[in-house]
Amino acid sequence: MSAITDAALQAAPADKARGYWTTVGRRISRDKVSMACAVILALIFLSAVLAPWLGLADPYQGSMIHRLRHIATPGYPLGSDELGRDMLARLVYGGRLSLIIGILPVILGFLIGTSLGLIAGYAGGKVNTAIMRTVDVFYAFPSVLLAIAISGALGAGIVNSIVSLTIVFVPQITRVAESVTTGVRNMDFVEAARASGAGPFTIMRVHMLGNVLGPIFVYATGLISVSMILAAGLSFLGLGTKPPEPEWGLMLNTLRTAIYVNPWVAALPGVMIFAVSICFNLLSDGMRGAMDIRN
Amino acid sequence: MLVYIARRIVYVIPIVLSVALVCFMLVHITPGDPLVAILPADASQELANQMRAAYGFDRPLPVQFWLWLWKALNGDLGHSIATGRPVLTEVLRAVGNTVTLAIAAAIIGFTLGLFFGLIAGYFRGTWIDRVATSIAIAGVSVPHYWLGMVLVIIFSVELNWLPAVGAGPGGSSAWGWDWDHIRYLILPAVTTSVIPMGIVTRTVRSLTGDILSQDFVEALRAKGLRETHVFRHVLKNAAPTALAVMGLQLGYMLGGSILIETVFSWPGSGLLLNSAIFQRDLPLLQGTILVLALFFVFLNLIVDVVQAAIDPRIKRT
Amino acid sequence: MRIGINSKAQLFATAMLAVAAMAALPCSGRAESVVRIGMTAADIPRTLGQPDQGLEGNRFAGGTMYDGLTMWDLSSADKPSVIIPGLATEWHVDDKDHTKWIFKLRPAVTFHDGSPFNADAVVWNVDKVLNKEAPQFDVSQVGVTASRMPTLVSARKIDDMTVELTTSEPDSFLPINLVNLYMASPVKWQKFYDAAEGADAKAKSQAAWAAFARDASGTGPWKMSSFTPRERLELVKNENYWDKARVPKVDKMLLLPMPEPNARTAALLSGQVDWIEAPAPDAVAEIKQRGFKIYANEEPHVWPWQFSRIEGSPWNDIRVRKAANLCIDREGMKDGLLAGLMVPATGTYEPGHPWRGNPAFQIKYDLPAAQKLMQEAGYGPNKKLSVKVQTSTSGSGQMLPLPMNEYLQQALAECYFDVKIDVVEWNTLFSVNWRKGAKDPSATGSNAINVTYSAMDPFFALVRFLQSGMAPPVSNNWGYINNPKFDEMVKKARQTFDPAERDKALAELHAASVDDAAFLYVAHDVGPRALSPKITGFVQPKSWLVDFSTMTITP
Repeated sequence: MSAITDAALQAAPADKARGYWTTVGRRISRDKVSMACAVILALIFLSAVLAPWLGLADPYQGSMIHRLRHIATPGYPLGSDELGRDMLARLVYGGRLSLIIGILPVILGFLIGTSLGLIAGYAGGKVNTAIMRTVDVFYAFPSVLLAIAISGALGAGIVNSIVSLTIVFVPQITRVAESVTTGVRNMDFVEAARASGAGPFTIMRVHMLGNVLGPIFVYATGLISVSMILAAGLSFLGLGTKPPEPEWGLMLNTLRTAIYVNPWVAALPGVMIFAVSICFNLLSDGMRGAMDIRN
Repeated sequence: MLVYIARRIVYVIPIVLSVALVCFMLVHITPGDPLVAILPADASQELANQMRAAYGFDRPLPVQFWLWLWKALNGDLGHSIATGRPVLTEVLRAVGNTVTLAIAAAIIGFTLGLFFGLIAGYFRGTWIDRVATSIAIAGVSVPHYWLGMVLVIIFSVELNWLPAVGAGPGGSSAWGWDWDHIRYLILPAVTTSVIPMGIVTRTVRSLTGDILSQDFVEALRAKGLRETHVFRHVLKNAAPTALAVMGLQLGYMLGGSILIETVFSWPGSGLLLNSAIFQRDLPLLQGTILVLALFFVFLNLIVDVVQAAIDPRIKRT
Repeated sequence: MRIGINSKAQLFATAMLAVAAMAALPCSGRAESVVRIGMTAADIPRTLGQPDQGLEGNRFAGGTMYDGLTMWDLSSADKPSVIIPGLATEWHVDDKDHTKWIFKLRPAVTFHDGSPFNADAVVWNVDKVLNKEAPQFDVSQVGVTASRMPTLVSARKIDDMTVELTTSEPDSFLPINLVNLYMASPVKWQKFYDAAEGADAKAKSQAAWAAFARDASGTGPWKMSSFTPRERLELVKNENYWDKARVPKVDKMLLLPMPEPNARTAALLSGQVDWIEAPAPDAVAEIKQRGFKIYANEEPHVWPWQFSRIEGSPWNDIRVRKAANLCIDREGMKDGLLAGLMVPATGTYEPGHPWRGNPAFQIKYDLPAAQKLMQEAGYGPNKKLSVKVQTSTSGSGQMLPLPMNEYLQQALAECYFDVKIDVVEWNTLFSVNWRKGAKDPSATGSNAINVTYSAMDPFFALVRFLQSGMAPPVSNNWGYINNPKFDEMVKKARQTFDPAERDKALAELHAASVDDAAFLYVAHDVGPRALSPKITGFVQPKSWLVDFSTMTITP
């Protein structure tokens, strides 16, 4: 089972939702495309996590004599970059930062957005208005513009780029969470629970989280690919990661000028971003299908 | 219905004011000297203080905000620090260029998306569906700035077919819709169009699937209606939603053009934003963000109102 | 430019203008020759006389359209570029009062709008940045101008062709500083001012400068013909330029901002432009292979490490400073990293330059000598010396800051240095940290800073780093160098008014700074540019500026 579905299982309220999530897991494991993507992502994740133990070259150690080697040069399986650093090692290590700055904003956005959306949706009234109107203000900016404006304001850096992307995703997720919660709140079983004397906290935890979390979760996984592209884009513009850290967007930027000497090596970081992004999209689609139990 | 539209329009006012506040705050949390563009690092401290006062950067922030907002409401966004030119004219010129690019990209993206979406939905489950869906997924997943670089290498540097950068032989002010100018538009527009293409394809595909699975289509078919008629029926029903999706995409393209405009040196709002950020040109930065955000707010409003007019069942809050 | 035609008279005038324009076209039937240039700037430098964007701004929007009272000699690729007469034909300091200078102006020079250049124009141009009461005073031009001529105070007309300039203290560098004060046409500006709408004089002045920037008028060899902000600046040759030898041979020059190195290279290779500034070193092989020519020449520029000399800094030991200077294989850096596009630095100025002098300490690559010095200072393979340098990811003149610093890191490791690199955003490094000095928290414990500098002018090349009074917050003596010998030599150079004697004093100062290993001298930039083979007759001088008049282009 992939890292994603594991995370999904942990995120779901364990007791009530297990049956549903088991079904979803079973359905998704029968989907070949999703499984292929899950395997690819798992490999990239694992190699990033285990990078120091894979016997790779030092991703920071350069050599001016060996710069911009072609792919499959002895000693440089994927060539070397503009400072003579091993591309394979940089791509694998680069996965660490790229995945963190790509995925963490979505996770943070999911946590914050879901909380805000649940509160707004369940409480309704003035609380709802206060939260949703604030969210609307941020929603009024196109996402790329907002991300770039915040990063531009805060200055380059990993933390700043994560903060800016989180701010971009929170309103989007809050909106989805609020509309789902509002929909579910008026359903019969919530009324029944309320009639049987359950407190609002219990209702929210037991009944609503289970029914609400699924759609939000699917929505959030769909954002990961956007987030990966945007995070790398910020680094590409010089607003994200700073050298000499290996990160795919930044590598794409610094290798740009090498495109005349060694286009294939220069294209590799873009291929990695593309691969991760497309796998997350396909997996998200697969999950959306699997979660739609009514079909 | 009219009440909804009126409410929706009134609601824009507080949003616009809040957006202005956010723009101002964003720009003023920026660390570093706002005068860096015109004050060399080796200038004396005395000269620096003198100039800061001349530009009003020594006043308290709330005062600066009210002054800026009041002028902005009167259509004056101040002057760029780096160039001394009025911000509004700079921004509007740049936005005009971005609109050219976004519309070209929208036409490409919408046409292709509609086409792929229809055939994918119509031939659902076949290899045609899979190919069209793959193209759509690739479109939304590709880092478009990277795609732009790859296209420049292939079509400008290697094949020498299309120009690599810029907006026409005479700059954007001499723009015309002839081949000499459109050549410059092709690569950036194609690069920009891949995301809307993917999104429209996916929307249209699922709409087509939904419409085709409705009972009355079966009934029409049973009555012996030809497939072209069924197709036309699908198109008619899918088009409004697809257009609404495209409308929002247009907004995203206006606000998100910075990466592509940087790669192609297209003189639009994204490139302007980029230089405003790196020159720390605060009036230009806040003006550009404000104008782009306002565009987006009004585009959203139009899409909402039009959609409500087409389909009164939609109750938005 | 759009012309509103709303009366018959105007229509007639427009028609006459069109006829006149056609008559003015060259009758030979030869096609107009145009050179299209891709600049590294993100925007057209300001066109109103005092350009921004540093020396690239001066190169394209300064010396093209405007002249200063003095100018750099840009005619030779071999000799150092020195000060020559410009709009002033001769000058001297007042014998009695060394803060007063007399400048004789060049006769029969006219601005592009036809108005004469004279003493009033000089006073007007000094006032535009130094006299707050003058209507043409423009605060946005003050920063880039006043900081280049820190001692200039005011100007006074003596007669039509003579002006007197006053400095705040005796300063023999004034004629050198004055290359940066470009003469804009007061008559043209006044026309815009009179036509401007605005609530008060300040608003009118601002509007007049904005209009002047769109339709500028100077005395330079090129005239502005059309301008699209942020996209293109079109210049045409000034047939009536006062120096007949420098009337441009090309009809038109088109300047296009292309900040992204790859876009620039692609534009050159796809035939969109004929000339690009600063091609990326990695693209140089490809550019050459396709028949383009690379021009490069040593520039008055230094890529250094500036040492901290505050209490406790390891660089206070001259043996350590010298060892670092001897430990770098600059030739290896040049060929391995920069595709030949640098000149190894053995000081701020190289032999042949009038301000070089005769330093005793020979900077070269000598690993054993460097290791020996380090051992004498108490370091060795088992006792590394930890140092930390602040640099940027990019920046004007920084060349390839990270690769180059990593190269230094590898090289200095051979001499028992353990180098840590602290990467700071360029604007912050340049405009904040560099000014705040080594004692400030912004230095984050660094004991060296890597900010490159232009060495065209002795104040910016030597004085602001070496004089103790220039320590933060006054100027850029980042490391608090406090050497009474340097202070004495600076004072002497500034107060020596005979040009030859002044140059000798500067040479002594420079030699002393090299002997003291005041910097880690690494490289000089070479201002690389790639030109289409169609362009001939271009000479790249040893300067940041170039003369665009000599080139020709075959269609």
